[in-house]
Order: sequence, then structure tokens, then C-alpha cells
Amino acid sequence: MDYTITTVAPIVLLPFFAFVINVFLAKRVPIAAVALSTLAIFGSFIYALRIFLDFQNVYAVGYHIHKVFTWFDLSAGEHLFKVNMGIYIDNMTATMLLMVTAVATLIHVFSTWYMHDDERFARFFVYMSLFTSAMLGLVLSDNLLSVFIFWELMGFCSYSLIGFYYEKEGAGNASMKAFMTTRVGDVFFLMGILIIWIIVGNTTFVDIYAAIGAGKFGGVFTSFGIGLPIATIAALCIFAGTMGKSAQFPIHVWLPDAMFGPTPCSALIHAATMVAAGVYLSLRMYPLMEAGHILTFIAYIGAITAFGAATIALIQTDIKAVLAYSTISQLGYMVIGIGVGSYNASFMHLITHAVFKACLFLSAGSVIHSIHCQEMPQMGGLRKKLPYTFFAMLLCCFAIAGVPFFSGFVSKDRILGDALLMAMENKAFIPVALLGFGGALLTAFYMFRMLFLTFFGEPRDHHIYDHAHEEHIGWNSNIPLLILSVFTLGLFYSGSFTGQGEVNLFGSKYEWFQTLIHKPEASHLEHFAHYEKEDFGTTDTRDKVELPKAAYDANHGLSEEAAHHVHFVHKIGAILSIFIAFAGIFLAYSMYITKKLDPNWWATTFSGWRKALQNKYYFDDLYIGKIIQKGLLPFNNLLAKFDSGIYDRYVVDGTAVLNRWAYNISRWFDNNVVDSGMVDGTGASVRLMNVVLRTIQSGKVQLYIIVLVVVLASYVLTLRF
Amino acid sequence: MINLWAYLGISFILFICGIMVMIARKNIIALLLGVELILNAAALNFAAYTKFSNGNLDGHIMSLFIIIIAAAESAVGLGIVIRFFQLRESIHIDDASTLQN
Repeated sequence: MDYTITTVAPIVLLPFFAFVINVFLAKRVPIAAVALSTLAIFGSFIYALRIFLDFQNVYAVGYHIHKVFTWFDLSAGEHLFKVNMGIYIDNMTATMLLMVTAVATLIHVFSTWYMHDDERFARFFVYMSLFTSAMLGLVLSDNLLSVFIFWELMGFCSYSLIGFYYEKEGAGNASMKAFMTTRVGDVFFLMGILIIWIIVGNTTFVDIYAAIGAGKFGGVFTSFGIGLPIATIAALCIFAGTMGKSAQFPIHVWLPDAMFGPTPCSALIHAATMVAAGVYLSLRMYPLMEAGHILTFIAYIGAITAFGAATIALIQTDIKAVLAYSTISQLGYMVIGIGVGSYNASFMHLITHAVFKACLFLSAGSVIHSIHCQEMPQMGGLRKKLPYTFFAMLLCCFAIAGVPFFSGFVSKDRILGDALLMAMENKAFIPVALLGFGGALLTAFYMFRMLFLTFFGEPRDHHIYDHAHEEHIGWNSNIPLLILSVFTLGLFYSGSFTGQGEVNLFGSKYEWFQTLIHKPEASHLEHFAHYEKEDFGTTDTRDKVELPKAAYDANHGLSEEAAHHVHFVHKIGAILSIFIAFAGIFLAYSMYITKKLDPNWWATTFSGWRKALQNKYYFDDLYIGKIIQKGLLPFNNLLAKFDSGIYDRYVVDGTAVLNRWAYNISRWFDNNVVDSGMVDGTGASVRLMNVVLRTIQSGKVQLYIIVLVVVLASYVLTLRF
Repeated sequence: MINLWAYLGISFILFICGIMVMIARKNIIALLLGVELILNAAALNFAAYTKFSNGNLDGHIMSLFIIIIAAAESAVGLGIVIRFFQLRESIHIDDASTLQN
């Protein structure tokens, strides 16, 4: 089958139509709405699976599908203003589609269990459908404008889902906070789109690549005596969008508060869709980031996020808060991956993280739903009560901690290995590598702290412990967990044990991830340049080609010696991160199982730091207390004063006075000229004519005859003489 | 030999008489008589011009038409007068100065 807009559209439209229908169905037949949403996303999943398999098995490595149609055309003469929409599918899109639909399907199935006793059971699925459809649309988009549209749609859905329990204290504020904070990034993102539009002429990815390849972004924008390359400005603006959506320092504050939403929606927002969208955008715009020379900046932002969020996660007691900070931290790793040029590994971490983090959130959801409690100090010993959940969470914790053979190790280790490589080449990247490895240690520690506090030891609150019953758990809660936990194994992503390519699990099989996902290299950009000559509406028409078996070049095009060096550094990184992962796990084990280390001792010794962590590094204080209260509120008051004191009093009221004058003048004119003169004058003149005509038309026939005769006679006599 | 001017003179006198009757008399029937006089003046004109022209009979035929129309008209007029008399019990012309009733 040919993939065209019409044939690919269902992948987005199935959940979207489910949303539209469910809006009407949700209140009347809730169970039908739930079934419809779940089936719709399952249909999308089947389709995405087909696309993915086609891209992996049938098409050549560099193959992409790009179909465009004109949305609207306001061109006038030589002034082109043509807005195109379209789909762009390459290996990355296909992988994203599969991941999003698969994870979303499992989350939908899980939600049928988690939300079933909620009074707004069906409404939840309405939002979920719209959310998933927006994410799928974003992934399929071929241009920044439609990315932005779907991006905002997701922002709205996250707002609705975070504030889903609107009767709960704080949920409304949390949803507002999430919406407003991401808006900061979105404004910059929109600015970036506009800059790109001005320079490139449209916002299609391939055109942007071609423009970068052709050096159109070489200009310098000078303002206030400071010259900045346009590429840098545009890249920073686009990356600000990523920072907002993917919760990067310093606008990460919304994500922990987003935990007010139902847990399945946390799984969807913080694993598969929304936060992934930010990283996906940066990956798509990678050539621009490279052209703008902001990769070091990106790496630093990612490193600060990865490490800072991991430290905050250390002392959280709410099970979802730990997961929220670990999400921020893992997103930080993806951003480090972008920053150190490890494009492939960053995208791989996006996928692996989506799977294991969705699984972690769903496990936490099933714990929360079983015991109706989120505080870890009140849990403990749940291993026997919730064996399947425990199993799933254990695998996911291994994955996120970076234990070998698990997906998190494969992807995170490659990012860290590349960071190490960069640090050895460039001193500027040393802090990035240090923070990355430090964050990895903390990650292993806090994830296993969570696991041990929740599932091991003696029950600390027997009332809660006794409440947890097997019958609370249904098949539709366990099946998604188990499926997701199986996919935390690394071999699904790398085809090898370590992800280094030297040990191939599938024999002659290449590593599909490294083979399929390619960084748009500078030389590769030239490839896109020919697109400019093609007419819109046509597509790249390369034939389907059998994938060459030897497509994977283990040396990545480097010389043998350089490749040896790279692999050596990667091996050091791998050994280091294995060591770090086990160290973190051992630390958590000795602190919470064998109790050789006393957490309280740490808490009292580092009380100052602990206080800073408890206050989340005072970011909320800074933003709400300082910037909003001290800065924006007085400014707001000033504007209000200006509004009521000057604008209202003089402009609005002044307009009223002017209006009254005008009213008086026109009333006088109306009364005297129009009414008295013209209207009454018409009447008077008619009456006057009436008098004259009435006199003539007397009804006296003989008078008429006289007139007739006189007229006739005068006529005849005039003619005669 | 009586020439054309004699005929026209008679016709003119008849016409003037008719006009005078229509103007001066107040009786509607008298007015109708005046109308007859005017028509007769016209008919006489036709007949006179025919007699002194090339000799075809167009004028005579026209005169006959006029006589017939005059008869029909006086019949209609008398009918109106009778109806008017039933309404007003009068045949005075000044009683017929309003359009209503």
C-alpha cells in the first residue's frame, strides 16, 4: 500500500473521531465511550505497527515519505504566502508512532481498571483520546506550524487532565501552573517559528534542512550593539519550546505539580507523549541546533536538569513525586544526548524511557489504587500483596537504574559514553559528564529507595496494608504492566547486550536502532536541497529497496584508529555506569533493607541541603514569591492603576463626554432641521397643494366643460392666428 | 347653390348651442340634449365635407356611426340619470358634485 495523506490520516483521526463522538457519548453511555476510545487507539496501534514493520523490513534506510497539500494560499502576485501541511514519515517517525500508540493503548487498557469507579470515568477517556491524537499528529507533522498546533492542543489536554480532579485542593492551580509555565517556552517557540518562516519561507522540516545546508541562516542580527547569528537566535527559541514542554531547568517547575492528575494520565503525559514531544522537536531541529552552535548550552541545561532533579527525588516521600522528578532527570539525559551530539542514543532513550516510565507510573497507579495512599512511609511489605506490580516495578527500576541487559542501560549508557567522549575532547563538557554520571548514581539510589520503601520490609501502616487486597487488581491492570515490563529488556532496542555493537544477540542481525535512526549530518542536508525544485504535492518517489544487511557500520564512518578510541571510551563509560548503578542500588539496599546506614544520620548531617531539597531548590519560591509576587504583581498593579486611573477616566470617560456633546448637537439638528423642517415641511407642502387641487376638482361638471371649452378654444385660436 | 360655408355655419351654431346648453342648464337631461346637439354638429360636418369632396361615402358612413353612437350614449346617459334620480331624488347637475353616495 502506498502511504499517502489519506491513507496515513486514520492513525491520527481514529482517536480524534473517538474524541468527537465521545464528547456526546460520555454522559449518556459511559462504557461505550470507554470502549470506543480504547478500540480507536488500538486501531492506530495496529496501523503504526504496520508502518513500523514496513520501514524496518521493506524500505531502504534513508527512505522517507513526504506528502504535502496546500492548506491555504494567500499569495498575491510575487508575494508568496502559501501554507502547506503534510506528513513526513521516516524511521524516527515510524518508531515514535509505534511507541506512542503502543504505550497509549496499554495506558488506555490500564485506565479502564484504574478509573472505573470514578464518577467521570468516560470524560477521562475523552481527553485521553484527544491527547493521543494530538501527539500522533505532532509526530506525523512535516512542518513546524502544524507541530505547534498539535503542541498547543496537547498543552490544553494536559491542562484538562492535570486538573481532572478539580474538586481536589490544588489541582486547579497545578493545571494552571503547568499551562502557564509551558506557555513561557511556547512563546519562544512561536518566535522561533516566525524567524524560520521569515528566513526559509515556510516551516517544512526538509526545507529548513535545505536552507541550513545552503547557509541561509548565516546572517547576523544586530540589536543594541550586540550581534547574534540568526541561527543561534532561532535555535535558542526552538530549544526554549523544548525546555517548556520537556520540563528542563529552569522551567521544569510545572512537572512535579502535574502529579495532581490521575496516574494513568501522568503515565501518558510524562512518559510517552507530551514531554517526549519536546525532545522529539529538538531532535527534528538538530541541524538548526548544530548550526546555531548552542549544543554546549543544551548539554549544560540537560546536565543541570538531570542532576538537580535527581537530587530532589532523593528525599521525596510521595511515590508519584519521586517518579515526577525522575522523569525530569531522565529528560535531562535525553537533552544531554542532544547536546553531546549523541542523536541516536538520545532518541533511543526517549523510546526506552517512555516504556519503562509508563510502566513505573502504571505500577505506582496500581499501588495507589490498591491502598488509596501515595505516601511511601506508610507503605512497605507490599511485595506479597501485589506480586505482579512488584515484578513489573522491579524490572523498570533495573531499567531506569541502568543495570545491564535492561533498556535504560543501553540508551543511557550510550549517552553517558558520548558525554565522556566529548569531555575528553573538550574541557567544557567535563561538568556535563560529571553531572551525568552523578545523576546516574542518584537515579539508581532513589529508584531503589522507592522500591524498597514500597515493597520490602515490614508493613508500616497495618490499616493500609490490610486494605490492599488481591481482588482490587484486575486483569486489565496487570496485563499492561507485564507487557511493558517485558519491553524493558535491552535486547528489544539494541539487539545486543550492552548496546555497544560488539556483541550481537541476533547473530548476523544489525542493530536496528543505530541502523535506522540517523542524525541529519551536514552532508546529508545537501540531499534535501533537491526537494526545492520539486513541485509541492509530489513526493519523494524512490523505490522500495531491500535493506542491505551490512548497512550498519560499526565504526560510524570513522577511521579504524579513531573508532577504536571511541569504542574504548564507550567501554570505560559502560563499565563506569555499571559500577555506578550497582553502587546506587547497594547504597539504597544498605540504607533501607539492612539498615546499616541510617537515613536520619544523613538527614541531620546535611540538614541545610535537605532543607533546600525539600523546598525544591526554592524555584517555586523564586517564581511565585519573587518573580510573580514582587515583580509581576506590582507591575500588574501599575498597569491596573494606569488602566483605571488614566485609560478609564480620561479615555473611556472622555469618549463618553464627547459622545454626549455629539448627542446634543445631533439631537438639536434632528429636532429642528429634520423633524420640524423636513418631515413637517413635507406635510405642509402636501397640504398646500391639497388646497389648490381641491378647489379645482370641485365635482361641478359644467365648470369642467367651461375649462375644456376655453382650453380648446384658445388652442384652436392659437393655431388659427 | 348652398356652399360649404353655409353647412359649416349651421354646424358651428349647433355646436355653440350645444356648448351653451351644457354650460347654462342645470338639468341633467338638458345636458344630455346639449351633447346630442354637439354630436349632431359633428355629424353635419362629416356629411358636408363628404358632399363637397371627391364623392366617396366615408363621411356619410361616419355620420351614421355618430347617430348610432349618439342614440346608444343617450340611452346610457338616461339610464345613469334614472339611477341618479333614485339615489338623490333630483336631476340637478350640482347635486352630482361628489363622488361618494
